[in-house]
Amino acid sequence: MVAPGLTDATRTALAELLLSLADDEFVIGFWDSEWTGIAPMLEEDVAMSSISQDEIGHARALYELLASLTDADADAIAFGRSPGEFRHAALLNHARTDWAFTIARRFLYETADATRLAALARSSYEPLANLAAKMRREESYHLMHIETWLRRLASGTGAERLRDALTRAWPDAQAIFTPLAGEHELVRSGILPEPLTDLRTRWAERVGSVLGELGITLDAAVVADDGRTRRTDEFEWLHGQFTMVAASEEGATW
Amino acid sequence: MSEEQRDRVWEVFRQESEGDPMVHGGSVRAPDEDLALHYAREFYGRRQESHRLWIVPREAITELDDPDLLKPPFDRSFKKPGGYIIKHKLEAAKARAGESM
Amino acid sequence: MNETERAEAFYAHVGSGGKVEADDWMPDDYRAAVLKFVEMHANSELMGVLPEREWILRAPTLRRKLALTSKVQDEVGHAQLLYRVAEDLGKPREQMLADLMAGRTKFHNVFHYPTESWADVGIIAWLVDAAAIVSQQALRDSSYAPYARTMKKICWEESVHIMHGRDVVLTMMNGTPHQRALVQDALDRWWGPLMQMHGPPTDPTKDKDLHWRIKAKGNEQLRQEFLSIYVPRIRELGLRIPDEALRQDGDGRWHYTEPDWDELRSVVTGHGPKSQERLEFRRFNHAQTQWVRDSLLGPAAAAA
Repeated sequence: MVAPGLTDATRTALAELLLSLADDEFVIGFWDSEWTGIAPMLEEDVAMSSISQDEIGHARALYELLASLTDADADAIAFGRSPGEFRHAALLNHARTDWAFTIARRFLYETADATRLAALARSSYEPLANLAAKMRREESYHLMHIETWLRRLASGTGAERLRDALTRAWPDAQAIFTPLAGEHELVRSGILPEPLTDLRTRWAERVGSVLGELGITLDAAVVADDGRTRRTDEFEWLHGQFTMVAASEEGATW
Repeated sequence: MSEEQRDRVWEVFRQESEGDPMVHGGSVRAPDEDLALHYAREFYGRRQESHRLWIVPREAITELDDPDLLKPPFDRSFKKPGGYIIKHKLEAAKARAGESM
Repeated sequence: MNETERAEAFYAHVGSGGKVEADDWMPDDYRAAVLKFVEMHANSELMGVLPEREWILRAPTLRRKLALTSKVQDEVGHAQLLYRVAEDLGKPREQMLADLMAGRTKFHNVFHYPTESWADVGIIAWLVDAAAIVSQQALRDSSYAPYARTMKKICWEESVHIMHGRDVVLTMMNGTPHQRALVQDALDRWWGPLMQMHGPPTDPTKDKDLHWRIKAKGNEQLRQEFLSIYVPRIRELGLRIPDEALRQDGDGRWHYTEPDWDELRSVVTGHGPKSQERLEFRRFNHAQTQWVRDSLLGPAAAAA
């Protein structure tokens, strides 16, 4: 137990926050790792693979932090749950789809994550603040990469596909900021320095300004209450893949 | 125009540690400087093996490999430390200095 | 100097350990031989991605997930490095990919086979990469300098893969009886292709690649080196190598059941159990992402 002084209610809320952060990184890392070996160009293949590995690395650090709170094991949290127990945002329920969707989703996700991490770097829970600061160092590269791609596609013959993909991803992207159970407690204790609703406003402004420059506008969207609990067949399929070996033999070490 | 010509080759030079010389690492293909930078970082830095990278469009490099210019046939020993053989002269000088003392 | 004398001087240069750079003059047949050799190597790295890629989504722990993704990523990176070497010899990358996907050029036999379980991930990373590194280490002395330099970088990365593969195998061998059975099963299936991988023994006097020092060691020499290092390492884990005739004589030379060279020829010409499926998968994904390259590379793309 590394967080003495936290009340049970705070600890439960903190666990929920860490799980949502970790699951976001874990699931997007899995979908995007699927590009390894088949991306549009060999050079880009290696770049996208690194980014997906970074996300899995971040998920691992977050699961470990969570595991230290709950006296569990990071791998057991990642690979030992049923689909319904995952807490990633609905944006990440969708399959890899195509390159346009991957770029659109990554852009919305990376900008949201940057907004979220900037706040969490000021968290009163020091292990999380430290981890967020460390993650931001890698995420800033992801942001550069994805904005380069966004601009290239928006100014080329792929512009229409990109626009369609952004339109498709936009409503579910709101779910990154779906209020958490116990969020009030997190804000009160300074673990989450600002409510997710405020972060969402800042994120939407940032997205609007980048896309505005590219002549893309997205309709207003609402935050669904079940944004982090809704699951899809596509995610069920992914879950079946990533638990295939891990669940194949009770108690085995891999 | 073929895809080959629209995509450029960028040569990547890497410095392994601070203060080391920049050494040619290899090359990447990318349509612009931004992506060239990303790809150079991937191919020559993803294992934390580089301290600094230079990314140069291949066409900016001028090559010189003419042996007549680089390895000219006449004596250049006066330009190298090894071109000055002083051992015997030093011995003679020391001997002479010893005698005159 | 006439063309014949120039070629003779060139071959005397490479024969005595001299190096050749991309911009240097070289005889057409040397250029063609290097290109063919490097192109097949590049194709093999690219196709070698696919059997292991099937397990990227199935890796059973966070660390294994990272290690396997990184390993497959390295293979893609190697394909890029090698296609860059080949491109500079004059054949465009798009043309090489088109030839590969159309079955006009080849890739190594081992990448034509299926992967059946997580143990295959360990056996491939450990033993297939080990067999590959034996020949790649020899290629660091290639007379074609850009290739030799690339092999230095590749060998360094491959050594990590072997550690990853061996770690997967060791973990399973220390695990449950079922896990051990999976490893034995994978070894049983991969041993034949592994023994074929370096190719049948060749006559050194007729092997152009050897003569011109594009490669530095013959097929049988590479196989002997692989066996010397890895047979003891396999056996010490309690694994059984599926060849009753395998033994080392007093001079250190390995004897083994003659590998099935007909199978090798058939497999590398596109008749392996997974040859067509994997090529079709490449064609499909290449077609699916064509619009991206077109968009990225500008309006002239329609002509590509």
